[in-house]
Amino acid sequence: MGAPEETYFTPVVPMDFTYNYRVGPYITRYLDGFKDKKILGSRCPGCGLVAVPPRKYCGVCNKVMEEMVEVGQEGTLENFTVGHVTIEKGRLAPAEAPYVLGLVKLEEATSALLARVGGIAPSEVRTGMKVKAVWKDEAAGDYDDLDHFEPV
Amino acid sequence: MDINVAIVGYRMQSAPDLVTSRERLVFELTRGLFDDLGIERTDVDTTILDSNDFMDGRTISNVFIDPPAGVYMRDESKVEMDAANAVIYACMRILTGQYDTAMVVGIALTGSQASPYLYIEYTLNPTYERQVKLLNEVNAAAFQARSYIDRFGYSERLLDDIAALSLANAALNPNQARRISGITADKVAASAMYYEPLRELHCYPPTDGGCALLLASERKAKELTDKPVWIKGMGMSTETYYLGERKLYQSSSAAEAAQRAYELAGVKKPAQEIDVAEISALFAHQEPLLAEAMGLMGEGKAEQAYAAGETAIGGKLPINPSGGALGAHPVSVTGLMRVAEAARQLRGEAGDNQVKKAELAVVHGQDGVCAQQNAVLVLGI
Ligand SMILES: [Zn+2]
Repeated sequence: MGAPEETYFTPVVPMDFTYNYRVGPYITRYLDGFKDKKILGSRCPGCGLVAVPPRKYCGVCNKVMEEMVEVGQEGTLENFTVGHVTIEKGRLAPAEAPYVLGLVKLEEATSALLARVGGIAPSEVRTGMKVKAVWKDEAAGDYDDLDHFEPV
Repeated sequence: MDINVAIVGYRMQSAPDLVTSRERLVFELTRGLFDDLGIERTDVDTTILDSNDFMDGRTISNVFIDPPAGVYMRDESKVEMDAANAVIYACMRILTGQYDTAMVVGIALTGSQASPYLYIEYTLNPTYERQVKLLNEVNAAAFQARSYIDRFGYSERLLDDIAALSLANAALNPNQARRISGITADKVAASAMYYEPLRELHCYPPTDGGCALLLASERKAKELTDKPVWIKGMGMSTETYYLGERKLYQSSSAAEAAQRAYELAGVKKPAQEIDVAEISALFAHQEPLLAEAMGLMGEGKAEQAYAAGETAIGGKLPINPSGGALGAHPVSVTGLMRVAEAARQLRGEAGDNQVKKAELAVVHGQDGVCAQQNAVLVLGI
């Protein structure tokens, strides 16, 4: 007797549960700074890196970073991409309209911050542009407070 | 290395949808490998499985593929990263002198049963990037692509040329999942834009796939095959995580991993000595970027190299004659498939993809956002 004729069905097995992550004092202070519309970083005593958002270890030289510094609201658009799709929960889908994401190097920072770029047509965006932070009117200490960057 | 270790056999397959289960895929690969070599499961001394708990939707995901792999009541453990790392660990086990044979098996059903994009989406920093909800695997790669082409003043057309060459090679290769006949750079340039400058055909395709490989000590290898492929060198390296702190136009970790592998293998001038390279480039720009890091292409020479066909199957230094990861990327299996494809070249079994003189190969696997982790092996006959 041969193998039985094959039928295939794919049961869907959702994973629905919650992970908790302790954020720690560095991101807590970063978001506290957002309440005053300030952008904080941490400075490395070894190599001078100013990381935004701040954290305890330097990813370059492995020293402890303890000094918190306020960085500028303006910076340079180091890199950007125009998104024509979105990827959420693994699903790649066409975007409603093209949108711009950028890596912004803020004054006094050495690392670049990933953010939305607005106030400009996507086709006009160029690397090297000067941009500035645009905040929500009411800052609540959430990541969303820093809404996007726009050309100076 | 004091003990010589060889690849003595391999099996691999991929498709957008293999219409299979994980257990069945593992069984068909390993049973096929045993039959190719005329061995049974008890001839395999130790095994490293490569599967991913997150992508398999199950913790300790090796527990359900141990039995079909025939490794119950044997020595087995698991790697969750790219399986090029698993090959290195398996080789190390033989180098201890305790084992004569070591099997590596990797599988992923990331074409039909789980989205490959979840893998990087859920590796992102949960207290920052996953809160800000802007970053994903493809836009991170787009930043890397922009950084690379801007650095050297390349045109975006370079990406189309790289992808067209890879996909043309993939079309010739029965092991590949994405096989498009009559592919051209213009057809690549007409594919859907994802994140500028990356289009659909510059990116890997969601793929089901698996690969099984048997390694053996020199003594055992000679019993099992008359075409051993020797592991001459290997190295790994990981760089810092945050994209905003990395020079995205280069891969310092791939360079370090390659340096370690070349040192063990006694390779001094890789661009001259290496005959063929199999590089896990998940996105078109990563092929020259990684080739530069691995000393196979001069910095800033990519446009020239692709225009002159230097990396084509008949070129001076063929890169990804198999079609590479633009042809198939079963998540975490891709580096293992590169190892198997290089072995296929060195054994002269590569059919339409065969490179003329293939005696020394370099193989690369990657993991993480924009290839944060890299593993490199040097193989030879
Ligand atoms: Zn430092």
